[in-house]
Amino acid sequence: MSCPRIALSVADHFDDSLTPSQRQELEQHLASCAECRQEIAQLQDIPAQLRNWQDMAVPAWDRKPQARHVLARGSLPLRRRADSWRKAANWLPLAASMVLAVAVVTQTRLNVTDDGWSLSFGGAAPSVTSAPALDVAQLNALLQSHAEVQQAATRQWVEAALRAHGETTAENLMQWVNYIEQQRQQDVQRMEAGFQQLLDRDFQTVDSVRQLASYVMYQELP
Amino acid sequence: MDKSDSELIEATLAGNVAAWETLVRRHEARVYNLGLRLLQDPDDALDLVQEVFLGVYRNLARFRGESQFSTWLFRVVHNKAIDLIRRRQAGPVLESGLEEFPEPVQDEADPQFQYLENEQNRQISQFMSRLSTTQRVIVELKVFQSLTFEEIAALQNIPVNTAKTRFYAALRSLKTMMEKQS
Repeated sequence: MSCPRIALSVADHFDDSLTPSQRQELEQHLASCAECRQEIAQLQDIPAQLRNWQDMAVPAWDRKPQARHVLARGSLPLRRRADSWRKAANWLPLAASMVLAVAVVTQTRLNVTDDGWSLSFGGAAPSVTSAPALDVAQLNALLQSHAEVQQAATRQWVEAALRAHGETTAENLMQWVNYIEQQRQQDVQRMEAGFQQLLDRDFQTVDSVRQLASYVMYQELP
Repeated sequence: MDKSDSELIEATLAGNVAAWETLVRRHEARVYNLGLRLLQDPDDALDLVQEVFLGVYRNLARFRGESQFSTWLFRVVHNKAIDLIRRRQAGPVLESGLEEFPEPVQDEADPQFQYLENEQNRQISQFMSRLSTTQRVIVELKVFQSLTFEEIAALQNIPVNTAKTRFYAALRSLKTMMEKQS
């Protein structure tokens, strides 16, 4: 019957990091288990045979390019921070729009009083708590006026946010358009310069042919 | 007197290119030979060297000297090697535990190993190539890199006994191959 801990016995045998008590435990097991002893004896030489590997020299390769971009310690985190801020800034208009949209949907109100400030959602709640002695008609009128003021204010906020977002987008678009236009102009200039060079070269060739022709004619004359 | 790894790292971070080259030359042979044994291809082994040192270089500022540089380097080497093996095999390797991969059919004159001029190296490479990937990695870590089973288990995120069982299975496979060879 196969010993259930044969794999562990073999592995432990090749493990130099065993504690003295673990080593003793292994020895005790091996003393009573012929199968584990035999297995270890069979596999004993394999690691040594593998270690006959002769290290090979590394072929030539360019180690320098990686080092060209060496950055002093500390500069890398700073650069990353700058990148992250730039990335965050791209999302600011959208984030502002989202906040305003949430404020509109939830009818958020900020109430500043002598006792401090409070945030309320739904619009009607502060009026109820701030004027408990009013009758129903007054309360409705008050609520109506509050709602109108609030709607006007939120409309202004949304409009301002949309305007800001639109301006940012338009600016980005304009930058792209300008960039593409600049590239196009540069390409045209390059093409013109190339074409001019071709023409010059053609003229030179024509001149050379003419010279050759006159030379030949001169040679043919008696 | 040779500078320590830590001194070379400090100098590299201060912009000293020669220090970086010295550091690379000091450790590249270990990485390259590991690559030869695991990847069975000199080009892949050199790819491993380049990827490892590029990764190390990019993260050099993060190395705080709490562990030895060679230990930190070896973690990178292990991860990159596994990554390369996965890419070459285009499939999962280590998640499958003791799963065996088909053994390539090779004879002694296999041209795959002609780049190894040393006969012993050629034979060892053939044996290693016939092991499953998990077994090959465990043999590399235990026999050639002399890691403890605890270190191997931590590196591969597996239980210690799993590492031991894999090592035993690898030795058994190698024994069978060597017997057939002789």
